[in-house]
Amino acid sequence: MNMKAIMIVFKKELTDLLRDKKTVIVGILIPLIIFPIMFGLIGRSVEGNIKKTSENLKIAIQSQDKSQLAVFLKSQKNITVVDSNDIKKDVQEGKIYVGLIIPQNIEESIKDEKSAEIKIIYDDTSQNSNMACNIIKSLIEEYSKEIVKSRLMSKGIDYSILTPINIKEEIAAKDEGGFGKFMLSLLLPLMLIIYGMTGPMAAATDLGAGEKERGTLEPLLTTQAGRMSLLFGKLLSITVMGFMGTVSSIIGLMIGVKAGGSVFGGDMPLLLSPITVIMIGIFVLLIIMVFGALELSISIYARSFKEAQTYLSPLTIIGMAGAYGTYMIDVKNVSTILFNVPLANVSLIIKEFIIGIYNPLHIGMTFGWNLVYIFLAVLFARYMFSKEEVIFRA
Amino acid sequence: MIEVKGLCKYFKNVKAVDNINFTVSEGEIVGLLGENGAGKTTTLRMIATMLKPTSGTALINGYDLLKEPDKVRSNIGILFGGEAGLYDRLTARENIKYFADLNNMNENESRENIDRLVKMLDMEEYVDRRVGKFSRGMKQKVAIARSIVHNPKVMLFDEPTLGLDVTSSKIVQDFILSCKNENKAIVFSSHSMQEVEKLCDRIVIIHKGKIIEDMRVDDFKGKYGEDFEKAFVGLVGDK
Ligand SMILES: Nc1ncnc2c1ncn2[C@@H]1O[C@H](COP(=O)(O)OP(=O)(O)O)[C@@H](O)[C@H]1O
Ligand SMILES: [Mg+2]
Repeated sequence: MNMKAIMIVFKKELTDLLRDKKTVIVGILIPLIIFPIMFGLIGRSVEGNIKKTSENLKIAIQSQDKSQLAVFLKSQKNITVVDSNDIKKDVQEGKIYVGLIIPQNIEESIKDEKSAEIKIIYDDTSQNSNMACNIIKSLIEEYSKEIVKSRLMSKGIDYSILTPINIKEEIAAKDEGGFGKFMLSLLLPLMLIIYGMTGPMAAATDLGAGEKERGTLEPLLTTQAGRMSLLFGKLLSITVMGFMGTVSSIIGLMIGVKAGGSVFGGDMPLLLSPITVIMIGIFVLLIIMVFGALELSISIYARSFKEAQTYLSPLTIIGMAGAYGTYMIDVKNVSTILFNVPLANVSLIIKEFIIGIYNPLHIGMTFGWNLVYIFLAVLFARYMFSKEEVIFRA
Repeated sequence: MIEVKGLCKYFKNVKAVDNINFTVSEGEIVGLLGENGAGKTTTLRMIATMLKPTSGTALINGYDLLKEPDKVRSNIGILFGGEAGLYDRLTARENIKYFADLNNMNENESRENIDRLVKMLDMEEYVDRRVGKFSRGMKQKVAIARSIVHNPKVMLFDEPTLGLDVTSSKIVQDFILSCKNENKAIVFSSHSMQEVEKLCDRIVIIHKGKIIEDMRVDDFKGKYGEDFEKAFVGLVGDK
């Protein structure tokens, strides 16, 4: 193994891979634009929908549409009362968002200081109907508070008697953006692990099985560059490709979150400091190296491109399991033992970084273990590259 | 010069190559002739250090392939199989240069050699284009230039015209003859008696991993007559 040969292989492979339109589009370009497009569209449409619904609430009121409450509701700018012969059916069909049934005797009940019962008919499978129901409910609540106020006033009692305790909420997170960070800590580790796994895959397939299929492996093996130089040059370029893919998907995600607007917490990515991003980047890089080496080992064993792709798919499932396994774990009180588990440890450490925990023991364990995994994966790749049965598998 | 000494290669219980011995002198073309599965590729792969012999060894320009595989590799050039085996997304020059670099050539040497080969093989027009869209013949020339860019003293050809059209075959055959003029030691495997007769100085017939005949082409004609195909079938059929 010599450094010069490794660099020659590395440079050639990177040039070759970057000239492959398919690899660049699938591995780098699509991750970069898929999130902005996806989140942008979702965000826009969700936001637009919310606006549309709340600005023009179509409701129907049955029987007492001359009552004070009905007048109050009608006086709201964003409410349109429409006629309906069959409220239930119209709600189901989405012609109106909600229907109100106000009892005949409502005015008397209020006057007599009794309780009146109002029915709201809505469709809990419809987002619009749910939203409209909530808005109407709070309007009715507001209205009923006014009634209580006047009732109390007429008795000479202060309204505040009804609220002996006022609750004021304060978030105990260290700094701003707690919710955004929480969302990020769910989403990002999952994505990064999946990217760390799939990112190097195309390159690994091309550089192992592809070399066999093209018939370039034999001449390559008779050059002065030893097999280990070939292996390490290839590993290096696979790692770089994988990392570029991951970085572009993260950038894509950040742009996407922005494009999605308030639905995704708006400025979520700005919540991560440069140091956090670098720390996360280091651990993602480790994962890419582990998977890159494993994928190259499998790929060199395969006789063809197709075969390599078939062999590589089970690896995806393992990666997914590792990522989803820690998806819901709350890192605020996580057991240290979990930092011995492959993939889980990286997922957890990324979660910790995102919410601002830098636990030296956890960092050390995760880093150490992943070095071990890389060592083992590279050892495996070395073994595969030196086996005649693998290289010349007939 | 190549000296093959008792080379054996067993795959599990298949004796792919079974104790073969032959030598190739400088400026000599030796044809390794045998049917499919006779052990030609395995023999050449061992000489090229790609496979470890089960026993026996070979000396390439005096270097033992077991003891000094690096030295052996710097002394051999290979052209294996009919398919050229190139990187489609690299230019012809980049393809050749990659192998020059991997063989430890410095910039000057490799540039000079590549320029000379490009001229010799008439590749000026397309040497800086990506090989993906090249014709069979153009690709063959690139593969040829790549095999020899590091000035090896020994050339190994494994059925290099397999599946090629007439033009591409001719390019390869002319190249083999030009290697002879440069005084290289050449092994050339084939299952075509005609091709061997046309190109080779000496014939080594291999069958089921064993050498069953090894003599000069002229002597072969004397012993078995002019009809090479018939002679070959007769020899192989016996065993
Ligand atoms: N990698 C391998 N593993 C197992 N058997 C092999 C391998 N390579 C070749 N063989 C066997 O060795 C014998 C010789 O093969 P080969 O050298 O390819 O013959 P030829 O090149 O003359 O057609 C055949 O029986 C073949 O099946
Ligand atoms: Mg063969």
